[in-house]
Amino acid sequence: MSEAIIKEGYTDDQRYEIFNREFMPHIDSMYNFAFRLTTDEDDANDLVQDTYLKAFRFISSFEQGTNAKAWLFRILKNSFINDYRKKSKEPSKVDYQEVETTYNSEEAADVTYTVDLRADAVQDLIGDEVATALNALPVDFRTVIILCDIEGFTYEEMAKILDIPIGTVRSRLHRARNLLKEKLKNYASSMGYDA
Amino acid sequence: MNAPSNRPSAEGEKQEQPMKQHCEHHAECIKKIQAILDGEATESEKEHFRLNMDKCMPCIQTYHLEKCIKEALHSKVTRKPCPNDLVAAIKAKVNS
Repeated sequence: MSEAIIKEGYTDDQRYEIFNREFMPHIDSMYNFAFRLTTDEDDANDLVQDTYLKAFRFISSFEQGTNAKAWLFRILKNSFINDYRKKSKEPSKVDYQEVETTYNSEEAADVTYTVDLRADAVQDLIGDEVATALNALPVDFRTVIILCDIEGFTYEEMAKILDIPIGTVRSRLHRARNLLKEKLKNYASSMGYDA
Repeated sequence: MNAPSNRPSAEGEKQEQPMKQHCEHHAECIKKIQAILDGEATESEKEHFRLNMDKCMPCIQTYHLEKCIKEALHSKVTRKPCPNDLVAAIKAKVNS
């Protein structure tokens, strides 16, 4: 079905109804995602507002009965990459490329890579400390952890949101978690916990 | 985790393997453990996990660590709710 036909299929009343019924219930998750990506409340406000206005403008391409939350998260992620990441001072893109190169190298592929961190030390950390460690990750790695562990998306949903194959979701999550463990270990050690 | 043992055992004799203190393919095991905790493991990964989980100390420790981190992210990291004025602003703009 072409976009034009779908568009004709929705009356104005239907567009408002879909927006309120399908999109608005996800606004807290969307805001949380935006805040975790930007780490700034004002930027999160702008990003969520832009995303919802885009979602309304392109509501004709949303198919009722499909996963509205994943559809919205995909728009938010794309808006973040296109509009916010460029002006962000965060050097994450460089870090990400360096890390990707390191992990993708032949030598790194089969090397056992473990972080010596104890479960007890993680249990001793409070939420702010875990959030600080998460925020310290390059944004692409932070994103997969937010989507999987905080928002509870499946690998298939994450693949759609991020436009990457499921295998890449899995390997990026693995890398992200190794990095997070390193941050948590450093954090736990600096706080005097027995990591 | 150990590969499943195919060694024949004498009738009635239970094979007791000593707990492994070193895992030679731990990187792969971590990936499988994460997939299991994410509810995304394949049937063969789940079966391998079920048969071998209690035989390898590094994998047992990894399972508990990964589970702890996942739970900490889910339950300890504060979720920021959307401010009410932003909800109102979005509704106003859409309806204008």
